[in-house]
Amino acid sequence: MTSLKVEIVTPESALWVGEAQALIARSSDGGFTILPQHTETVGDIVPGIVRVETSEGEVSFAVHGGYFQVGPGEDEGVTLATVLAGVAEKTTEIDVPRALAAKERAETALAAQTRGEPEENPAHPWAQAALERAELRLRAAGK
Amino acid sequence: MAGGQERILRRRIKSVRATRKITKAMELIAASQISRSQARIVANRPYRNGMKRIIVEAAKGDPAAAKKLLATPEKVDTALVLVITGDRGLSGAYNSSVLRAGERLVTSLRAEGTRVRLFAVGKKAAAFYRFRGMEIEESFVGIADRPTFADARVVASTIAAPFIDGEAEQVLLVSTRFVSAGSQVVEVEQLLPLSVPEVVVDDTPKALKGYTEFEPEVEQLLSFLAPRALESEIFTALLEGAASFHTSQQRAMAAATENADELGQTLSRIMNRARQDSITTEIMEIVGGAEALRSGK
Repeated sequence: MTSLKVEIVTPESALWVGEAQALIARSSDGGFTILPQHTETVGDIVPGIVRVETSEGEVSFAVHGGYFQVGPGEDEGVTLATVLAGVAEKTTEIDVPRALAAKERAETALAAQTRGEPEENPAHPWAQAALERAELRLRAAGK
Repeated sequence: MAGGQERILRRRIKSVRATRKITKAMELIAASQISRSQARIVANRPYRNGMKRIIVEAAKGDPAAAKKLLATPEKVDTALVLVITGDRGLSGAYNSSVLRAGERLVTSLRAEGTRVRLFAVGKKAAAFYRFRGMEIEESFVGIADRPTFADARVVASTIAAPFIDGEAEQVLLVSTRFVSAGSQVVEVEQLLPLSVPEVVVDDTPKALKGYTEFEPEVEQLLSFLAPRALESEIFTALLEGAASFHTSQQRAMAAATENADELGQTLSRIMNRARQDSITTEIMEIVGGAEALRSGK
């Protein structure tokens, strides 16, 4: 009997740990799917949606960049897939109003930057990153 | 005369009791923070372990690239030292033991002819080192009590910058490790180049099991991974520092409360005796007066 154990962890907490059928994500080399018995792999994860297929359906996460590792688990026949992300959240737990507000803020800051009004609106150095994060959250939440 | 002494004693007892209330409250607050900060260490562990595993795997995948990135340089011209202390005092030896360990490290590095640049987390470091003629380049204040990962990122990017630009060859960390609730130890650790001692140890048995796939290439992966690993290490150190701080403060405040209890007891005993003395004297005077009046009749 082979199985796949998936861990989605952030520095603040382990977001999700459990048995799964497949782990679907994107690395900088392209999309990939991890199934049980997958060979040992180490790689990165580009910001996007990471899906975990379990027997009870699909769980998905908005992952803002990270790394993954696939290797043998502690028990025989178990493949362990670990996703490490600095920031990540379950798509069902995304705060949509907050993401919308963040998107608007980032867009305003960027627009001010391109119009060249750094005096009144000091360009936020993180605006572009904040915008990308907010857009990913909204996409992940399906809004 | 006796009444004056009694009044002074009463005032002192009142002040000791008030202090005791404060230390007791601080003890309770610290105690409640201990379990919370310990829980955060536990929650952080999977990420930290995973990060270590990935670095080890990557280092094994391309030892040559790993060596360039991870090996300790033979000659260190400039070293960065990051000292993690608390923002607040009244925590026993927590701050001073880290600060003293940091001072020893800086002194020994300077003795070897290494230039030292100091960075610190916590309010307490700046004053301590300035007094000793060691200037702190940047202090991170307000994050020591409840560090978040975002805080760790800010610290990491600040101290990694000189290393990446080639201005420094080594980054060292002085912090308190939370071994258990009963034991916290000050340790000096090398942050950069990343230290991966496990690679050498378990290289042989695993190498036989086949190879690991990498996407993208190991060298590229390692260069992206290094800053993330640094963030992770700093975050763990911050969390353990916070837990150690709260533990240390709880212990210090428990001792202070006990001392206040003892002092209050001693003082009230002295006061009672003083009061008794004055009552006795008064009675003696009355009796003496009455006696004199009677014999005078």
